[in-house]
Amino acid sequence: MENKLNMEQVFEKLGDLKQFFVFGQRIVPVIQKIIDFMRDVVPLLENVNNSIQDSTSKIPKAANQIHNVTNATEVATGEILDIVDSMSMDLSRIKNELLEMKNGFFNQRVTLEKHASDFPQLNGKFEELKNGLSIDEMETRIVTLENMVRKLENDSTNITISLQIQDITAQQLASVNHLIQSVQKRLSSLLFDLGKKSNQNLSELEQMPEADTDTFNPDAKYDTSAEKQVRVDEIINENLKTSQAEIDKLFSK
Amino acid sequence: MAKKFLVVDDSVTMRRIVANSLKAIGYENYVEAGDGREALSKLNSDDSIDFIITDWNMPEVSGLELVRSIRSNEKYGSLPILMVTTRGLKEDILEALQAKVNNYVVKPFTPQILREKIDQILESA
Repeated sequence: MENKLNMEQVFEKLGDLKQFFVFGQRIVPVIQKIIDFMRDVVPLLENVNNSIQDSTSKIPKAANQIHNVTNATEVATGEILDIVDSMSMDLSRIKNELLEMKNGFFNQRVTLEKHASDFPQLNGKFEELKNGLSIDEMETRIVTLENMVRKLENDSTNITISLQIQDITAQQLASVNHLIQSVQKRLSSLLFDLGKKSNQNLSELEQMPEADTDTFNPDAKYDTSAEKQVRVDEIINENLKTSQAEIDKLFSK
Repeated sequence: MAKKFLVVDDSVTMRRIVANSLKAIGYENYVEAGDGREALSKLNSDDSIDFIITDWNMPEVSGLELVRSIRSNEKYGSLPILMVTTRGLKEDILEALQAKVNNYVVKPFTPQILREKIDQILESA
């Protein structure tokens, strides 16, 4: 009786064992697949790891290059402004010369006309002389030259306005640099977690100076349309009517 | 007597452009500062400054901090201040007004706009 009970227990255990083997037969291919997957994915992860490390090491160079670009454009803009300044001075001199010439011709005309009225017996001679000196034609030419000078002055002013793009792009580049530095910090922290960076690297990174976000406007845009200033003026006029207390109240919210 | 301007901007290019624009509209007398701290130092040492033109985004002491410092100073607190900046959002303009700038110009600007704002400020003074 006791033997029968033992045998039943043995059969029960064998049944469990059989079920385990059946389950095992089903699970083995899955485990094999997991092993194969791991075999494939580990080198891939290693590659990703190396790529992150490689990219992280290149970021300071990229940030430095952007900084160099800003410096180079600032130097180039300075050189252009030097040329524009020199052009403006030359134009100013030309303008003064033309004015003197214009006055000279005007005086000649006045003198000739005065002589013509003082000496009516020489009627026609002074008109002939005036025509011979081409005073009218010279005066017309001077007016044309003055208009050209004014256009050139206007052009040089427009060049100066356009050169403000240097400051605006410098602010945009500073914003990109700030973004790059943030990415570098995150990637380096990730590499530290993966054991690819030493404590020393991490502390060096933490000591890296943070870009001062007050030094640039990430939304800086080169927009030469007058609308932007018109909108500003509207806000200013609207708020100049508003009491200072109301503005303060708005900011204390 | 010719007005003396203090031009404050961390960009060398912008300082030159503002200075050139001032010259173009007949103001030849100006001094420059590269940030708010330098501007305050100039204001403390130079009593002949009549007008301040400042950028907003600058290292050390920003334009807005500079305006607040100026306004809280007895000696030069009432000097006219024109803010010239790339910031054109309504909240920026209101913040500048709260700090008590006299007027506001967005970059890029023309010498005509600069003249108009300077004239408005000087006329209302």
